Amino acid sequence: GGTIRFGHDNKTDPFENPAHACTAVFQNIVTADTNGSVTVEVFGSNQLGTAAEHVQQVRDGVIQATLTSTGALASYYPRIDVLNLPFAFANNASTYSVFDGEFGATLAADIEAELGDVVVLGFPDTGGFFAVTNSQRQIANLEDFDGIRIRTMTLPSHQKIVQALGAEAYPLSWGEVYSGLQTGVIDGQMNPVPIISFANFAEVQKHMTLTNHLFSPYTFMVNKAFYDDLTEAEQATLHTAAESCVTASRGLSRIIEASDRGLAGLMDKIEVTALSDEQRAAMAAATQPAFEAHVGENLDEKAGELLTLFKAEVETANASTYID
Amino acid sequence: MIVGFSFVLLLAVGMPIGFAIGLAGVIGIFSMGGGVTFLAIGPSKIFNGLNVFPFLAMPFFILAGEIMNSTGITGRLVKLAEVLVGRFRGGLAHTNMLASVFFAGLTGSATADAAAFGRTLVPAMVKQGYKRDYACAVTAAGSIIGPTIPPSGLMVVYGSLMGVSIGGLFAAGLLPGLVICIVCMGVIAIGGKRENLPKAERGATLGEIWQTFLSSITALLMPVIILGGILGGIVTPTEAASIAVAYALFIGVFVYRSLTFRDLYAMLVRTARITGVIFVIIAFASILGWWMSFERIPQAIAGSVLGLSENPYAVIAIIICILLVVGMVMDITAILIILGPVLVPLTEQIGLEPIHAGIIFVLALNISLMTPPVGACLFVLSSVTGEKIERISVKLAPFLVAEIIILFVFAFWEDAALMLPRALGFAP
Amino acid sequence: MLAEFSDRLSRQINRGTEVVLAALMVALVLDVWIGVVDRYFFHWQLPWPEVLARYLMIWAAMLAVSCGIARREHIGLTVLLMSLPQGGRRGLLVLIDVITFALFFYVLWFGIGFAESGAKRQAMILGATLQPFYSAIPAAALLACVQVVLVMIRDMGRQLDTVTPNEGSGA
Ligand code: NA
Ligand code: NA
Repeated sequence: GGTIRFGHDNKTDPFENPAHACTAVFQNIVTADTNGSVTVEVFGSNQLGTAAEHVQQVRDGVIQATLTSTGALASYYPRIDVLNLPFAFANNASTYSVFDGEFGATLAADIEAELGDVVVLGFPDTGGFFAVTNSQRQIANLEDFDGIRIRTMTLPSHQKIVQALGAEAYPLSWGEVYSGLQTGVIDGQMNPVPIISFANFAEVQKHMTLTNHLFSPYTFMVNKAFYDDLTEAEQATLHTAAESCVTASRGLSRIIEASDRGLAGLMDKIEVTALSDEQRAAMAAATQPAFEAHVGENLDEKAGELLTLFKAEVETANASTYID
Repeated sequence: MIVGFSFVLLLAVGMPIGFAIGLAGVIGIFSMGGGVTFLAIGPSKIFNGLNVFPFLAMPFFILAGEIMNSTGITGRLVKLAEVLVGRFRGGLAHTNMLASVFFAGLTGSATADAAAFGRTLVPAMVKQGYKRDYACAVTAAGSIIGPTIPPSGLMVVYGSLMGVSIGGLFAAGLLPGLVICIVCMGVIAIGGKRENLPKAERGATLGEIWQTFLSSITALLMPVIILGGILGGIVTPTEAASIAVAYALFIGVFVYRSLTFRDLYAMLVRTARITGVIFVIIAFASILGWWMSFERIPQAIAGSVLGLSENPYAVIAIIICILLVVGMVMDITAILIILGPVLVPLTEQIGLEPIHAGIIFVLALNISLMTPPVGACLFVLSSVTGEKIERISVKLAPFLVAEIIILFVFAFWEDAALMLPRALGFAP
Repeated sequence: MLAEFSDRLSRQINRGTEVVLAALMVALVLDVWIGVVDRYFFHWQLPWPEVLARYLMIWAAMLAVSCGIARREHIGLTVLLMSLPQGGRRGLLVLIDVITFALFFYVLWFGIGFAESGAKRQAMILGATLQPFYSAIPAAALLACVQVVLVMIRDMGRQLDTVTPNEGSGA
């Protein structure tokens, strides 16, 4: 038994935020199914620090659980970068089967082995695929990216991908993105649709392209010493609760996309462009070699193996159809 | 309980404010009983508390102000204010107020204003027959115009911590800044007879005014360049501060040719030292803030605020009162880091526009810079002029009341607060 | 004797620290300028100016804390202190220095472990670990500890003696 202090860096509304929806579901199931022998206290909205600090606090046993972004995990576990393979997934369902399947299990085991002090319980949705917005022109073809200045996170792989598309990549701190877009310090940015919506970027951008080029899930991790102290039944409850947490994050992400706070709402404020398979294929062909070269140069052999497995699993998932 | 008690005790016996906040935080995490595991959080909170790019605007604006000061720009601005309003009863007091508006375009900090005018205008006023405590009170009242009219270090910090457009906050600050100046000049005029304020012998001619205007044009251009750079999409607000440094350097080296390497070295070091004094407070406040979050104190405060009333006006009034009361005993950046995450979401719940909430916070915190016993502007003025804080505070009272009324007017009158941000497209 | 020696040593360390501070400030200004100029003229798309600026800023701000200690620029309330008889005031001021030392010793002690934890973390953009940047915390705390001890021996609580009661300048 014990108390799980669960930190994350998102808004604390379970109906507007996949991260908080996930923690709320987890909290409910764990508390109910263990008859209160394990309780969960959620600390959202960066109360306890940045996403990277949360990882450290879980590792040190100050808190017991967190949902961390790939960007925040990268400094502890650089191999997480392989998830940034651009234009990999054909649709949302593929992301579910890849992260619930063999690749997810392999990745979780590798994170656990590398860090040594955490247990990975799953990969919740952060809000879906990345889209690119900009103020210059409609982007439908690879050539349209030419010379557009796009804000990226300070992640080398994201910069490489943007550059391979023919655009320019400039890291800008998050606090300056809205005003940067508004005044024209930068032309565009890339993020999942709910983030674009909640950050009100449609007010300061004209065009949005559903490139779906990246999918970056959270990593749900708990402190290993805490986990090891639980009874087997309690551990099992944590796993089932985590599965529902992941499912909730996916469900809410799709609902946000469909609501007026997602794509449906954005359509009125910003010109939205979806890509054809041919257009995506051209972009994939331009970016994937650059990305693989980046992985080869900057990451170890083990990362290469992970990438190979990732590509194989993605291919299988993309080929499969729903209930066939 | 023990944390609050030890903080007040440490403060009372003269522990530097930043260190008192730090000790309170360490006592807090120690009292949690987690031993070494929890105590080890401290250095990480210090590092991450400072690991915020927009914080850079503070040292840059300080440096730009230092360079401008050394070129004699501040003196020219004071001269300009004097030829404009020096002829009235209490001419130098009015001058002090108006010069704060001109100076505000150069500086993002109230303490820079207080230090500059405490050194120059207060002695000049005393020489002309003003009482020293009154001269200090006028300087303190005017000093908060500096971080209200853009650029503003506090707005940069607020915007980056709360995710609010810094450009929008800058736009929102201009009007309250001017109103503070006008109202405080009214307070000076009303109290002028009672305080028996001196008058200048004669007014300036139009020719003198024009000459003085020309000689201070380089200084007056600084805010135009800073805001132009931001609104024109050339730089972010943080980078704009570095452009301010470039402009000041250009003026110092090429226009006035008065800047030597020795001066520059001294200014760089002084800027770093001032930054250290401010940032150590931010760093230690991060520890205290983390402990409070962990103990869920913010939620308790938020819950009790909404428990008192859910009427939006009442909630705004309570938030302002909390800020002003806590502002009496704590540094304002520390307040922003510790209480911001509690109180700002409350303003969202009652449907306040983020920029409107921002300007309320900025005004309340700026006013706290001159409320005793802990008020950075009072500290600066007291140490620069040698006047006692208690005596300044007494003379400050009417100005303080006037500024608090202004704060409430902008808090309750959304159209006034958001007029400029809306006109510039920062708010719906 | 010891007071004079402490005074001299404190000044020398402070002078050295200030040279480093000036260099860091210049680097900081140049770094941000490079970021702006890159975006408008060179289009190198340098990934490091934003990250590096943050780390330089932390180094500069933290190192500067010790200079503020050496010059007693960190301000506190003096109302109570000035109302005490000289002996009591001096005693209290020495006690404050001792407590300040304890605070920075805490930061130093746990800061060393923090800096070591940085060795296992990658600064993605800079191609290095985070250790050199995390080291700002223990390094600055060490300097602060040394300066607190030196100025304590230098002043022995006498720093407010020259201030007449109705002035009340910052401690
Ligand atoms: Na200003
Ligand atoms: Na105050």
